Amino acid sequence: MVGTSGTTSADARQPYGHACLTYDHPARFQTAARDFLAAGLAAGEQVWYLAPEAPRGWDFAPRVVALGDQYPAGSVIDPDAGLAAYARATERAVADGFTGLRVAADVTTLLVTPTQVDAFARYEIKVDRYIRTHPFAALCAFDRTRMGDEAVDQLACLHPESEAPFHLFAPRPGRGDAALSGEIDETTRPAFLQALRRAELRPGRDELVLDGEELAFIDHNSLLHLDAQARELGTTAVLRTALPAAARLAGLLELTSLRVEAVR
Amino acid sequence: MRTGAAAGHTGYFHAAVQYASDEELLAVTVPFLLGGVAAGEPTFVSFGERTADLVRSALPRDSGVQFLTGGDVYARPTAAIRSYRNLLAEQVAAGAGQIRIIGEMPVSAFGSTWDWWARYESAINHAYDDFPLWSMCAYDARITPAAVLADVASTHPRYALPDGTHVDSAAYADPRTYLAEDRPPIPDPLQAGPATVELVGPTPGQARHAVHTADRGQLPAADVDDLVVAVSETVTNALRYGAPPVVLRVWSGADRIVVTVTDRGPGPKDPYAGLLPARDNAAGGRGLWITHQSCNHVAACGDDDGWTIRMIAGNTAA
Repeated sequence: MVGTSGTTSADARQPYGHACLTYDHPARFQTAARDFLAAGLAAGEQVWYLAPEAPRGWDFAPRVVALGDQYPAGSVIDPDAGLAAYARATERAVADGFTGLRVAADVTTLLVTPTQVDAFARYEIKVDRYIRTHPFAALCAFDRTRMGDEAVDQLACLHPESEAPFHLFAPRPGRGDAALSGEIDETTRPAFLQALRRAELRPGRDELVLDGEELAFIDHNSLLHLDAQARELGTTAVLRTALPAAARLAGLLELTSLRVEAVR
Repeated sequence: MRTGAAAGHTGYFHAAVQYASDEELLAVTVPFLLGGVAAGEPTFVSFGERTADLVRSALPRDSGVQFLTGGDVYARPTAAIRSYRNLLAEQVAAGAGQIRIIGEMPVSAFGSTWDWWARYESAINHAYDDFPLWSMCAYDARITPAAVLADVASTHPRYALPDGTHVDSAAYADPRTYLAEDRPPIPDPLQAGPATVELVGPTPGQARHAVHTADRGQLPAADVDDLVVAVSETVTNALRYGAPPVVLRVWSGADRIVVTVTDRGPGPKDPYAGLLPARDNAAGGRGLWITHQSCNHVAACGDDDGWTIRMIAGNTAA
């Protein structure tokens, strides 16, 4: 599945070009990357292709970047340095007359050890926030057969749309400190808490605001965890959600550091 | 300092009033209430409209008795316990040496959902025992089914009589004993037919999806949302604490959705599970407590197949 955003409706995720592909066959990356970059080309963006295999049979020629040029081979990515490199490239593309920079990257081969996956997840979060407010778009592709479902989902959940059961991503400007969508329950909570830790959320103002307008479900234990995390941060968290049940649960649980506000 | 029949008693002094006429009801109620006010004790009435008017008209003007109105206290047992415990804690914090309450269930509680109100009547012997509470539960023998009156005898340690005395209930059972007994709920008629959805070993997410599938718009969206929460919690508990296979069955009716979750385990050990929150969330207690506040009826029972919990959203009177 490709979570391509920035193309359709004006929901909480739009306009926003941080897409994710989790695949079982490399041919799917070729197709998704071609479509993703063709859209960028049509919009006047500079388009980059990063993958072990070169594009085959395309009717346009993206700039092919060797994975090793953007990401040092065999090493653990430095999230800040990785982001800074793309920020510079985006600025150069704009200076060269493009409307922005768009990258399709299959980074599977860079992600072998848990340490590499952990650092890359932290990098994804920084890139996601950058994409939300800059003329940069990325399609991040991960091979399930090589990485395994658990590692893939750890990264897929950090995109606004993907096959992951829930998503933690950058909200629209002015909408809070993080956005949540999908379903968070007993089975997905470990991954959710891991994503939260990696996001290192801090309150933007006096409260930590979570935009949960696209949240389809959150269970009571996850609300208790959010409450506890806010308390540890010495702040109050606010979860804005369209789920009336979440607000009712928060009332039953008599949470002290998490407030659930109904939207719509 | 406690007064009246509960003087010298520690904790909850729980009595039933089984009356056969309005005069009998007033003969018990009026002295109980006025005695409370005279002793400076917070004194409450939680009656339906007819009996509340009857009592109000028998009391002097500005009697000091407080009538609990507006709130749907007796909508769901677990919510009633929560609401009363909050009320009692407030009164004690304000310095009350004893609190007096007389209440009655609506007649609608005596139908197919009576079993959870019977469990309520039993559980509160424990749940209110932290407080210096003297309460009376009034049952009109003219309109209360015999089976309900039998449960009243098992769940109230004593009866209050019109002459002001109390007599022990011979049938009273300790709540831990009463609540541990299996009482199969009255089957909902929908359960006689095939389930709309049946899943073996569902994830909580698949169980939630099954409820949404059964939702044909026959219930308010908020009721469906609450049922989804309840089903998610029970399936989560069954997977975590029960024994496989976990079987989910959902029946979609014209005015209700009925869901059962069965696993092969023995069910929760805690007899108060669902009625009181587990303090440390041990063995899924908080999930069951939430479930009991998210449906119009919840009943659980063990049998040869394991343990089954049934939840109903919408009309429970079928």
